[in-house]
Amino acid sequence: MAADLEALVDRALDGEKLAIARLVSVFEDTRVDAPSRRREVLQHLAARRTRKARFVGITGTPGAGKSTLVGELATRLVAGDARVRVAVLAIDPSSHISGGSLLGDRTRVRFPVGDRRLYFRSQASDQELGGVSRTTFPVCRLLYHLFDYVFIETVGIGQSEIEIQQVADFVFLVLTPLGGDGVQFMKAGIMEIPDAIVLNKCDAVDAARKSYHALRASLSLSRPGEEHLVRIFRTSATTGQGLDELSTFILQLGQDAIGRGMPAKERYFLEKWVRDEYGRQGLRALAARGGAAAVMHAGDFEAAQLQFASEYQQR
Amino acid sequence: MTENAEQRAKHLLYDENGNPTRDRPWIFRTYAGHTSARASNELYLGNLSKGQTGLSIAFDLATQCGYSSDHPIARPEVGKVGVPINSLDDFAVLFKDIPLDRMNTSMTINGTSMWLLALYVALARERGTDEKLLQGTTQNDLVKEYLARGTYIFPPEAHFRIIAEMYEYALERIPKWNASNICSYHLQEAGATPAQELAFALVTAIGVLDVLKERGHFTHEQFERCVGRISFFVNAGIRFVEEMCKMRAFAELWDEITRERYGVENERYRLFRYGVQVNSLGLTESQPENNAWRIILESLGVTLSRNARCRAMQLPAWNEALSLPRPWDQQWSLRLQQILAYETDLLEYPDIFDGSHVITSKVDDLKSQARAEIDRILGMGGVSAGIETGYMKSSLVRSMSERVSRINAGEQIVVGLNRWTEGIASPLLSGDDGGIFKVDGDSTRETLEALERTRATRDGERVKRALEALKQAARDGSSMMEPSIECALARVTTGEWADALREVFGEYRPVTGIEGQKLTLEDDRVRALRQRVDAYAQRAGHRPRIVVGKPGLDGHSNGAEVIAVSARHVGFDVIYSGIRLTVDEIVASAVEENADVIGISILSGSHRELGAQMMEQLAAAGASDDIPVVFGGIIPQDDFEELTNLGIRRVFTPSDYSLTDIMERIMDVVEEQEG
Repeated sequence: MAADLEALVDRALDGEKLAIARLVSVFEDTRVDAPSRRREVLQHLAARRTRKARFVGITGTPGAGKSTLVGELATRLVAGDARVRVAVLAIDPSSHISGGSLLGDRTRVRFPVGDRRLYFRSQASDQELGGVSRTTFPVCRLLYHLFDYVFIETVGIGQSEIEIQQVADFVFLVLTPLGGDGVQFMKAGIMEIPDAIVLNKCDAVDAARKSYHALRASLSLSRPGEEHLVRIFRTSATTGQGLDELSTFILQLGQDAIGRGMPAKERYFLEKWVRDEYGRQGLRALAARGGAAAVMHAGDFEAAQLQFASEYQQR
Repeated sequence: MTENAEQRAKHLLYDENGNPTRDRPWIFRTYAGHTSARASNELYLGNLSKGQTGLSIAFDLATQCGYSSDHPIARPEVGKVGVPINSLDDFAVLFKDIPLDRMNTSMTINGTSMWLLALYVALARERGTDEKLLQGTTQNDLVKEYLARGTYIFPPEAHFRIIAEMYEYALERIPKWNASNICSYHLQEAGATPAQELAFALVTAIGVLDVLKERGHFTHEQFERCVGRISFFVNAGIRFVEEMCKMRAFAELWDEITRERYGVENERYRLFRYGVQVNSLGLTESQPENNAWRIILESLGVTLSRNARCRAMQLPAWNEALSLPRPWDQQWSLRLQQILAYETDLLEYPDIFDGSHVITSKVDDLKSQARAEIDRILGMGGVSAGIETGYMKSSLVRSMSERVSRINAGEQIVVGLNRWTEGIASPLLSGDDGGIFKVDGDSTRETLEALERTRATRDGERVKRALEALKQAARDGSSMMEPSIECALARVTTGEWADALREVFGEYRPVTGIEGQKLTLEDDRVRALRQRVDAYAQRAGHRPRIVVGKPGLDGHSNGAEVIAVSARHVGFDVIYSGIRLTVDEIVASAVEENADVIGISILSGSHRELGAQMMEQLAAAGASDDIPVVFGGIIPQDDFEELTNLGIRRVFTPSDYSLTDIMERIMDVVEEQEG
């Protein structure tokens, strides 16, 4: 097994899809002993020269054109620079009855077959309400090393999409002209999340212009006291309008622009993991150990998970 | 006048001179075409000599989707479900010895409708036939392509323009041509209830007429005539009394809409004219001989009521769930039409349901349901909005899931399928050919050679100029009809014509409509299967992941959609990417998603070619041992062994109607893979 994982790591770094896909599955694995395999993969990666991905969150209601937009942006990013590698992680809801899911986003994103620089993976939300899956963060820890940009496309149910802010470095909220979803978002407090807004499907010129100004107005209301209003991009996948501008903007998101570093994310998701696995009692045990920050000092995320799990079980 | 009106008997029909008479029968057609232009021409001449009175041309999927036969995605499909047409040279062969001025030709063609009409007109011009005498129909209904059948090419807006330009060309130049045919046939195949079929077809017609009106190329007088050219193509299912009522509801609603919405004064132009193909969806693979009875009963729904009788009828063949029909199968269906029209007394009476309270009440009920649905769709912005928002698609997928659930639960009885399944084997299947039709694999060569010959002998400069002129028209908004005719005359190929317009309009990708759908199936077996899936998830650390795909050009997505919805229903994570995928794309999805199994749906008869391609691609990705493949579709028993030898792990056919059963067997494959 050990040798297997190491070989997979090398093949994945080379851009081989099957190897990447298998490693992603290791990071999605829900079995208790899985973190140790993840740890091993990350150790192999640490011993090699790897990439350092920026995570771009894409949220917004269904039908806002998130997937098509992501497909266009990813294609542009790799077209602009032959060395760049881009992954897309698209999350769709799971059924509350069967636990199964329909992951349909691939329909909207058509990458040229055989291009090693683009990778698409669907995830089921697994009844999580935060807009991303329980396994999104672990998988991001892997993709961090293999790609330069990772788009995370949320479920997009229009509410409780808060978690994207924790996992992504930069979050775009995608809206459509006169979709009325702006108001919904304001109500849900979602307007406070995005770092920038994309007004998509701007092919209808008039509607787009009206919406743009309505949006400007509502933003200044919902985020009072902010020095700069968040930027609004106007795009259309049909005409190509605004897409180059947006992809250039993403390219220029330097490491310094990233507000949420990995340690902060690890702390957040460790606490969340404890809550998911062990509930309130687990949280109390975590607090007794000095909170997520203290437990993280034991080492990396996976080591902290393993250690907490074994201590908690012995209790 | 031999008798005055008071003396006339209510049960008799009278001609204009007051003499008792009987109606002329509808046009008898058979939906036909396969292999090559030459083979199809032979078939047509044969059918016409047996008493068929019109042609209904089936094109192969490459022609329908705008690819020439030598395009990689076209190759496995050439001549499979219809005739391949690459250029005017093929058309000349197809209509050899068939006089265009005396034939009524219906073409089931949508994405490339303008191109096929241009070829027909060009052929008439080259033969010196008067264009004005051409009669027939180009189906040209995009709504059902977007919703159910999948052979669209361009986005809705561009295609509505194409339809409008065809009406504008046809009205004065080929006045007996139906430029489009509002086609609810496939909506029923996709699961539409009668009220949905009524509503969706009528909003489609409204969509077309609204565009024509808005473009303003017609005077009101011309517009009225144009309304009179709108014809419909419907489906008739086994509930034939309800279907008959549906047809009456259609006629009454159409009269209402044309009068009230469009102010059509002339009664003649408000007539609801329609052709029909009776339902294929309900035809079964098990005990296929029973389908003969189903076809008879279904044809009653569209012929019994004189006020709502079809203008043209085509019948499927008894073995349609097994394969494409053989000439004898088609002849058998034609004989049914002839017996119905000439042996029975059907055509001797006025409408036999006028005055029936039961029928009137049923018709009114359907009308009010349909009106409510029409208002809902018009309220959201009309038929284009209904498509683009996915509303109409999800309604259909829901109806389909409900229908399948009912059959699975045994609530809807299908004889020989879920009741009375034991019986004596059908002798109809015991002939040398097993009662089915196979396209000669070698025939593709003939088509490809003809294509090469055309390319080699045409005037390259004229082709270039013609294509430029076409693109120019597409861009500047002038009519593309005449430039298309020039393309036809210049021997432009089908692929070149479509590519030129793709360049200007782009290609359309629709919503899949399966999001948020669910099955109502809940029983002990489903619950047991869910437990099995959950147990697998515990052992493997993830839910079983299935990639469901439809390779090739066949767009009948219902089967794949139902499988996708069912798999989720039992707890799979399902990656569904819609239709018109290449094998490469499906394999790439399966690899990137680390799928546990791939499920492929194929109805076009190209399962052997696609199976081989699939296994090659998997091997190239190094995943042959890891990702098992199962097939479903219209696949003859004879081909099972070949598919098994290729490495396809399970093959499902229409006789595997139990979704639970299918899912259990797919789960078997997933578990076998655990090792």
